[in-house]
Amino acid sequence: MLSVHDLKVSFATRQGEVRAVDGLSLEVGQREVLGIVGESGSGKSVAMYSMLGLVRDANASITGSVRFEGKEILGLADKDMQSIRGGDIGMIFQDPMTALTPVYTVGWQIVEQIRAHTDMTKPQAKERAIELLAEVGIPDPRTRVNHYPHEFSGGMRQRVVIAMALSCNPKLLIADEPTTALDVTTQAQILSLMSRLQETHGSSIVIITHDMGVIAEMAHRVVVMYAGRPAEIGPEIDVVRSPRHPYTWGLLGAVPRAGTRSQRLATIPGNAISPLDVPVGCAFAPRCEYRMAICVERPLMKGADGHQDACWLSDEQRITIRSSVGRGTS
Amino acid sequence: MTTYIIRRLISAVLVLFSISVMVFLIFFATPGVNPAARIAGRSATPQILAQVSKEFGLNRPLPIRYALMMYHLFIKQDLTSYVNIGDKVVPQITAAAPVTLSLILGAAIIWMFVGVLGGLIAAANRGKFIDPLIMFFGIAAVSVPAYWLGEVVNYFTQDRLHTSVFSWVPALGYVSPTTNPWQWAVHLFFPWITLAALYAGIYARVLRGELINAMNEDYVRTARAKGLSERRILLRHALRCSLISIVSLFGLDFGALIGGAALLVEVVFGLPGVGLLTYNSLLNLDLPVIMGCVMYGAFFVVLASAVVDVLYAYLDPRVRVVR
Amino acid sequence: MTDDILLRATDVVKSFSSRGKKLGTRSVAQAVNGVSLEVRRGETLGIVGESGCGKSTLARCLVQLLPVTSGTVEFNGTVLTDLSRRQLRPHRRNMQLVFQDPYASLNPRRTVGDIVADPMRINKVGSEAEIKDRVEKLFVTVGLDPSYLRRYPHEFSGGQRQRIGIARSLSLNPLLVVADEPVSALDVSVQAQVLNLMADLQEEFSLTYVFIAHDLGVVRHVSDRVGVMYLGEIVELGDADDLYDKPHHPYTEALLSVVPELNDTDAPRRERILISGDVPDPSDRPTGCCFHPRCPIATERCTTDKPELVTISPGRQVACHYPRNVNSSAQPGTVSP
Repeated sequence: MLSVHDLKVSFATRQGEVRAVDGLSLEVGQREVLGIVGESGSGKSVAMYSMLGLVRDANASITGSVRFEGKEILGLADKDMQSIRGGDIGMIFQDPMTALTPVYTVGWQIVEQIRAHTDMTKPQAKERAIELLAEVGIPDPRTRVNHYPHEFSGGMRQRVVIAMALSCNPKLLIADEPTTALDVTTQAQILSLMSRLQETHGSSIVIITHDMGVIAEMAHRVVVMYAGRPAEIGPEIDVVRSPRHPYTWGLLGAVPRAGTRSQRLATIPGNAISPLDVPVGCAFAPRCEYRMAICVERPLMKGADGHQDACWLSDEQRITIRSSVGRGTS
Repeated sequence: MTTYIIRRLISAVLVLFSISVMVFLIFFATPGVNPAARIAGRSATPQILAQVSKEFGLNRPLPIRYALMMYHLFIKQDLTSYVNIGDKVVPQITAAAPVTLSLILGAAIIWMFVGVLGGLIAAANRGKFIDPLIMFFGIAAVSVPAYWLGEVVNYFTQDRLHTSVFSWVPALGYVSPTTNPWQWAVHLFFPWITLAALYAGIYARVLRGELINAMNEDYVRTARAKGLSERRILLRHALRCSLISIVSLFGLDFGALIGGAALLVEVVFGLPGVGLLTYNSLLNLDLPVIMGCVMYGAFFVVLASAVVDVLYAYLDPRVRVVR
Repeated sequence: MTDDILLRATDVVKSFSSRGKKLGTRSVAQAVNGVSLEVRRGETLGIVGESGCGKSTLARCLVQLLPVTSGTVEFNGTVLTDLSRRQLRPHRRNMQLVFQDPYASLNPRRTVGDIVADPMRINKVGSEAEIKDRVEKLFVTVGLDPSYLRRYPHEFSGGQRQRIGIARSLSLNPLLVVADEPVSALDVSVQAQVLNLMADLQEEFSLTYVFIAHDLGVVRHVSDRVGVMYLGEIVELGDADDLYDKPHHPYTEALLSVVPELNDTDAPRRERILISGDVPDPSDRPTGCCFHPRCPIATERCTTDKPELVTISPGRQVACHYPRNVNSSAQPGTVSP
């Protein structure tokens, strides 16, 4: 479905070159949910935006290969990208409060998208919009289709955004932090909605988040990103239960859970690196407890069974570390 | 929406009332002025002065004086000019109003068209050559004083090139549209352009700024993700949202202009509008006329401001929920 | 007042009024609707709830940053709500607030050294030299290099700014620190650092915390006792582990069931209880129990009879007519009489 190879996105700034994404490769299969997890500055959002031509900075340089359904879409002319965006690939963003144009009704906005990609007439498109609103659980859709975005609550607005993104039956849905701005109960509603829709529409989903819990809920496979590079890729259950990369260890260890009360949370020493100061070699080395001499060379992604990591630690070394430290790292 | 409109109108009435009180107080507080004499006229006899004193209650408490003044001004409409004896104030204003209105309306259409177009082109081509070019013209137009520009225009159209290029330009003055529509337009042509230049510059700059901000908003990102063309996004989404602030600005400018703020243009082009009337009455300290003009001007500004607020609520649905 | 209890709030109500939807009417919204709680010396009381539940307003009422509409707040033996502003001033040093947004809570025009020194200067604690010395010590305590004193907030990351905010709150040696969502805006790894720091500080300075957050995992981690808020009311209160293992209020139960969990153990996952609908408008409160429109087990009684917060077992309070999991042997998710 989506095949990304060695994607690199960098921005030329006055202070130097900022490598927002530095060699990302991933695959998304049919009907699969891929999670991309990372903290701020990891490049997870920029990666997705640049794939779809949403990075409009004149100082940006984007290289690599992005194939969607076999066809190369990186570097495609804007006009051609426009038919893919919203048509074959739908996107939903983080903040539902500002995602919709405030001066048009939600119905008008959904109809606009439908008519941009299909031949439906206005009345037909409006009927479809009402159907979609009902499908995402908006009560009384026939009336609410004529309401303005500010007349909906945050959770409802996100549903509208989802309805809009699905309106043209996209094969791939990209969700950038779709529930971060929402309450936990609303988040649960939205995630369950997305799972359900994924099954009925048969689309693949890429979900970008910083919340490992959301990944555990939704994703089949996960990519852990740090400093614009993939640290670890694999089936979600493997990455969570047997993580390989020290950054993943740190990330999982830092999550407060039942049973961690009155204990110190495992932290990652130091601070997040500035994108201008990415070290030669492994990006995580300066903060890594287990760094070795070889880490001045950038590690390649290696691994078997679909579970890969970018770390020089060998499997034996990992087993030694895990058994000596215990729960904190594994 | 209706509650909003009602609330808005009530506050408009209150503002007008406050202005009328202030204007009235000025009338009575201007140094070196005898209110009775000012009302009665330059060559008033003592009998007339006494009569005026009685009619306007000049010896009675302030609120009564205020009430009587308003009565004479609006209801009886028999307040007369100090300078031009016998000329009533209200008819003078009503005669001058259409001139100002013609000037402003024409200029407004031109400046909105040019300004919005300029702002759009500049924003759409941000960074390219045409953007700073338009902005330069905008700044130039804003910096040049209207009266100077007017005089320069006159210099070329009435004097220097009057016999050659601009032979079709008539002498300074105004022709009513009911008399001769074509002449009406021809007479106003250069005044329109002069007045429009200033405002077109401002509006182009403001719109450009608003559009650029709007294009960075989240909803534009969503629109792109929907696969819409850049053109549609600019015109249907960004422009629509940016117009809101332009409309507010326009309303206030328009209201102020109708009230007589274009007086310098009127003076330069010899158009007998409210601006010119106010100007002359200020020179002569013709208090009744001044009062009339001020109330007239205030009324339009307040009305324009109320209309703008209501229009704003229509354009931006979020504002309708008044908290 | 027992020596053991540092802060006691009794029936605190905070309402805001604004223009009503109809002409000439005013609408009144109770952001905090009768909250009573006690904070013991040295403990961490966590308050958890979703957006709009009134927890931030409650935080501000507790430290008297907002005047309460009714009710009392007793702190360290004194009834603060009876005092005038001037009388209140000397008490303010003993309770401090740490704010949520590390980007907005520091004055961008002051150096960070000044930001931490200001409370001391305002309260005239010591000479300028002593103050400077103390600021440096505070910086070290929160893990920041004291040479950063002269820098401005924008030069620091979110986590560092939050540390500065914490240093500021400690500058007057308070007894109580109310932290209003102190880590919500931070990345997970940074969050962990700040939480560890706060735990260390609590031990070192014998602090009492009221920790307010919407992240249930974080609240459980830091708190000894937890209160759950909904629509301005405390619906459940009790020991942290106990409350999380056996929630009594249907809202708590649902809230806990939908928290996305890491599935790194084979323990069975909780059954998800999805609450439908949205939080009601606080100016238009439901009759009876405030949760009844969304409650999966609401009955007729719940629409008319408002449940009081009652002690159902030692250390556990709940405001519900049909508390769940009351028999200790029952598993969460089962119906109990």
